[in-house]
Amino acid sequence: MEVQKEAQRIMTLSVWKMYHSRMQRGGLRLHRSLQLSLVMRSARELYLSAKVEALDLETPSTPTRCPPLSPEPMDTQEDEEEASPRAAETLARCSAHPARVGRKRRSSSLSNGVDAGLVPSKKARLEEKEEAEDASSEVPDRLLPPPAQAEGAFPNLARVLQRSFSGLLNRGPTAPPTAPPARDAKPVCRPADPVLSVLVRAVVAF
Amino acid sequence: MGEDTDTRKINHSFLRDHSYVTEADIISTVEFNHTGELLATGDKGGRVVIFQREPESKNAPHSQGEYDVYSTFQSHEPEFDYLKSLEIEEKINKIKWLPQQNAAHSLLSTNDKTIKLWKITERDKRPEGYNLKDEEGKLKDLSTVTSLQVPVLKPMDLMVEVSPRRIFANGHTYHINSISVNSDCETYMSADDLRINLWHLAVTDRSFNIVDIKPANMEDLTEVITASEFHPHHCNLFVYSSSKGSLRLCDMRAAALCDKHSKLFEEPEDPSSRSFFSEIISSVSDVKFSHSGRYMLTRDYLTVKVWDLNMEARPIETYQVHDYLRSKLCSLYENDCIFDKFECAWNGSDSVIMTGAYNNFFRMFDRNSKRDVTLEASRESSKPRAVLKPRRVCIGGKRRRDDISVDSLDFAKKILHTAWHPAENIIAIAATNNLYIFQDKVNSDMH
Repeated sequence: MEVQKEAQRIMTLSVWKMYHSRMQRGGLRLHRSLQLSLVMRSARELYLSAKVEALDLETPSTPTRCPPLSPEPMDTQEDEEEASPRAAETLARCSAHPARVGRKRRSSSLSNGVDAGLVPSKKARLEEKEEAEDASSEVPDRLLPPPAQAEGAFPNLARVLQRSFSGLLNRGPTAPPTAPPARDAKPVCRPADPVLSVLVRAVVAF
Repeated sequence: MGEDTDTRKINHSFLRDHSYVTEADIISTVEFNHTGELLATGDKGGRVVIFQREPESKNAPHSQGEYDVYSTFQSHEPEFDYLKSLEIEEKINKIKWLPQQNAAHSLLSTNDKTIKLWKITERDKRPEGYNLKDEEGKLKDLSTVTSLQVPVLKPMDLMVEVSPRRIFANGHTYHINSISVNSDCETYMSADDLRINLWHLAVTDRSFNIVDIKPANMEDLTEVITASEFHPHHCNLFVYSSSKGSLRLCDMRAAALCDKHSKLFEEPEDPSSRSFFSEIISSVSDVKFSHSGRYMLTRDYLTVKVWDLNMEARPIETYQVHDYLRSKLCSLYENDCIFDKFECAWNGSDSVIMTGAYNNFFRMFDRNSKRDVTLEASRESSKPRAVLKPRRVCIGGKRRRDDISVDSLDFAKKILHTAWHPAENIIAIAATNNLYIFQDKVNSDMH
């Protein structure tokens, strides 16, 4: 739980930093934005892996069931291209990682009280809007911390980040969330990470 | 600019407490010229201040070649990019001296987008005895001119004149992080986050792109260029460092576009030290060739590493600058300190390396004896002629008197920029808005 809170805090902080760096003199610094998005990605992975562990501890393992193969209803904001790969991925995940699949199902029922408490009240307005749109929104979606002034001055940034985050969180990490992920001994250039790339896209858009 | 020279005077004696720092006065780069006679500093306000070493005189043996202000000028002004609606900061990112080829001195100074070549000349004589003009320059009444005279050059107070000779603009889309003059003394390179350009010193309207790591799709971006430098002797070789902690040595003879490196220097990550922030602390903030050209020095957030050009697999030496911060990376991320870009420096003989840290501390590592020392650049500990006292950061356990605990380090006082005289044991340390120059007349042991 602590790890989850910490990861969430770092994600919030990173988003704030990225938003804030836009307003600095000299414009958006590419290196800084890249570093912030790396931290965001690590925080997200940590959050998700901590969530898995927490939920595994809390609830005994239930018979695994595959989630409905249709894409999650909260995709209203998803990019269309992500819909089909994600459905395929959900299927794959269903067979390969029953625990995680279970998590996806469980979290929507579990969480409303628990995690809502973690989320600062400023985000309530946006979350209510999302809830209205889709009945069973995932917790991580609610996690998304749009900057406070988002509605006012920079609605686009918030929306892009929301879209990116909800997409990423639905997809889940492409590797098993054992932290730290296994690293080859041979140093290779990290392959392009879809998570990072969406974040970078959000960055570069501004 | 006169009043500015007084406030920027180097710290030989106690001055009144300047606890309030104007952001424009924060020093952003320090560089000795090739002989060490001149020291240039750039600041966030776009100004360059040049110090000159006074020649040692037998009459005043105590003034052992101290540095005094030689010239101050405004190098860059804030600009506005209308197309992108972005302000371009006037902060001087780097200064590099050109090798002196005549009586004048030349240097390159750069901000985020534009590089300028400045020529510094001295005038210590002036013609007197004009026929048509009087001493103030006013035209004489012709009726008073009774005879012709030949104007004579008479000595005058030294006047240092600085003029911009070349402006290399519009070469970079991203922010310039480094410039480096080639050993051929005709070309230089400038590097931004994704590209490196080669310029000829005499040509301002075009440059050659020699490295381009911009991916076709910006979503695939995984690393950026953080620093670059030409080899000190081989005019075809240069190195650039990346945000992933790797170095690439490139040979310009191999191809026009040096995207394919000749050598890749990368240390495999130690899985046991992997942490949440490992990726960002492995980013190399500075790379410097040794004077011999055989080694390279890199600085990342917690360490300095010496690399042998002949060995790509790992550095030959690694020194911990402030490893006690490894457990504090989260707080350092919160206060943005984790993004600080420290520089590093070699001494003239390549036997000692130096880099800055927090709390106005700077560290020196003797490569031969493997001893290191932590020193502080502050008014309180720097009386003129006094020997600097080594400092210690205590992590836990036994605490000696005068030790500083990690929690009481002042992270606002950071030494990012340091420079070492090319031949002698004289170092220049930039501590926020103050410049400290320490000299070591006697080759004392490091302790």
